[in-house]
Amino acid sequence: MKNRPSIWRIALTTLLIAAGVVIIGYSSRVTKIDFVRLFKDAPKAKSLISAILSPDLVTRDLQTTTIEIAFPIPCGSAPNATPITSGPHLTTSVPCASVKDTFTLEGFSLSPNAQIAIRWQIPTIGSLTLPYANTDANGHFTMQLDAKQIAASTNNTASFIQVDTRIPVGNMKPSQAVNDVLQAMFVTIFMALLSTSIATIIAVPLSFLAASNITRHGPVGTTVYYLTRSFFNLIRSYDPLVMATVFAFWLGFGPFPGTLALMVVTTASLGKMFSEAVENIDPGPIEALQATGANRLQTIVFSVIPQIVPDFVSYTIYHWDINIRISTIIGFVGGGGIGYYLSTQINSMIGYHKAGTAIWAIVAVVWAMDFLSAEVRKRLA
Amino acid sequence: MLRVENLTKIYPGGTQALKNVSFEVKDGEFLVIIGLSGSGKSTLLRCINRLIEPTEGKITWDERDITAASPKELLKIRRNIGMVFQQFNLVKRSSVMTNVLSGRLGYANPWLSVLGIWLSADRERAIKALERVGIGDKASSRADALSGGQQQRVGIARALMQEPRIVLADEPVASLDPVLSHSILQYLEQLNKDGITVLCSLHFLDLVHRYATRVIALKDGVLVFEGLPQEINRAKFKEIYGEEAQEVRATSFEAPA
Repeated sequence: MKNRPSIWRIALTTLLIAAGVVIIGYSSRVTKIDFVRLFKDAPKAKSLISAILSPDLVTRDLQTTTIEIAFPIPCGSAPNATPITSGPHLTTSVPCASVKDTFTLEGFSLSPNAQIAIRWQIPTIGSLTLPYANTDANGHFTMQLDAKQIAASTNNTASFIQVDTRIPVGNMKPSQAVNDVLQAMFVTIFMALLSTSIATIIAVPLSFLAASNITRHGPVGTTVYYLTRSFFNLIRSYDPLVMATVFAFWLGFGPFPGTLALMVVTTASLGKMFSEAVENIDPGPIEALQATGANRLQTIVFSVIPQIVPDFVSYTIYHWDINIRISTIIGFVGGGGIGYYLSTQINSMIGYHKAGTAIWAIVAVVWAMDFLSAEVRKRLA
Repeated sequence: MLRVENLTKIYPGGTQALKNVSFEVKDGEFLVIIGLSGSGKSTLLRCINRLIEPTEGKITWDERDITAASPKELLKIRRNIGMVFQQFNLVKRSSVMTNVLSGRLGYANPWLSVLGIWLSADRERAIKALERVGIGDKASSRADALSGGQQQRVGIARALMQEPRIVLADEPVASLDPVLSHSILQYLEQLNKDGITVLCSLHFLDLVHRYATRVIALKDGVLVFEGLPQEINRAKFKEIYGEEAQEVRATSFEAPA
């Protein structure tokens, strides 16, 4: 009898499980969770993901060569072109045409698998760009063209059809995207570095005020201690992103409000971590130095500082690491740096390869910072 | 001469650590304080250099009133009172040299010392102090790289830097292997022979007999005995430490002279 679980316990457990199911069910409705769509709509992400996987990294100089063929409209308005049959050359299915006729343009012995730009070069008017085409493996292409009124000959001079081919020449070199990404990345890294270092400079003295073992003596000390701690906790409750938005209202978009936001939040966060490091020190050496007749500053410099330096340095590097990640996000909302570059490229719809470059750069830098901070902290231990 | 009169300490929590303790220490004495853990030995020693503020009572040293000293005077008084701790209280990450030099802070220029700039005379003094306790070769080691016995010797060298006239030793051998107790206490004895007054709290009765010139005993914050070490026999020991106390002997570990 005693070994059987009570009916109330069973009822309570059942109720708790039921409540759990209801909560999860409701929250998945609120957040519109739909795992089927996750797979069904996968093709939509394909172009973005494939672009990210093939970042825009290198480029080569392009040499443009232009070939042309005269095409009188209507026939007899100008001399027909002299046919060329060797080297890169163009032919037309008819030597001339009347307005609104259709004819075929063919190109031979151009650079293979290349994109070519085609245009009408019309006397006195200028050039009229036609759609791009691509050559096949033999450097050949065909294209249907209309003999348009605008391309009619004037004063016994025919319009020309011109074709530009661009051939990569010279060595591979970093693409424009790489240069832009590097520049934006420097902005981000220095945004994080500047905000972290200024925050550290402010947080160090504040952390002593917020350390109970240093400050919490007498009514004045206790007041200062609680004020500093409340300040830290208040600031820490704001996300850097919220803070950046506030500063952006104030100062406009750009790296400055982002840096400022990071600085304020990091000060509070580091201040709190530092003060805990100060509170965790061994009080023995403090006592020993007080006993020697050392003054307050000497005591702190000789007994507190050596004990906290490793923690302070590792927390600072850790925050630099975090801040690089956060400043990427802040950049997304207009804070400048790599995040801004990334959001611009993604929103432009044609810059996916450049976005890929940026994403890989972020991955590389975050990984490097992670490694660096772990290494330094290991050495300091 | 150090005179303690009616010393009482009540901690903020209400614990009364010392009750109306009075005694005198003449220059050149090796005074040992015995008593159970929590009997008030550490509080008593810390009241003498005012690491702990006495609640009531008066401590005078050569007619200077320590208890009434201003913060500035107190720093000057503390310079001449060295202190050695049970847990050594070294800055573990700092070098032995820095730890020893820090004993000189009361004399050094406050601003230069904070920047780590020391007179070469102070550096020489530190090396001499380390040589005196037999670890002159350890100056550049990190403090936590040393064994417990060596760390306590660094603690003594740090106290020596103060050119102390009194050394307060708060259970200097309680954290050490009994084998090392004599080696540490012999250094204190040597200081004592050089004219430095030593106030030392100890647990082992045979150590008390071996080193003390005079003994006081505390029980629950009250001075229950004051006299010569020879006067503390088994019966007296049980009286001070309670009936359940078992005397542990360290004699068998007597270090070679």
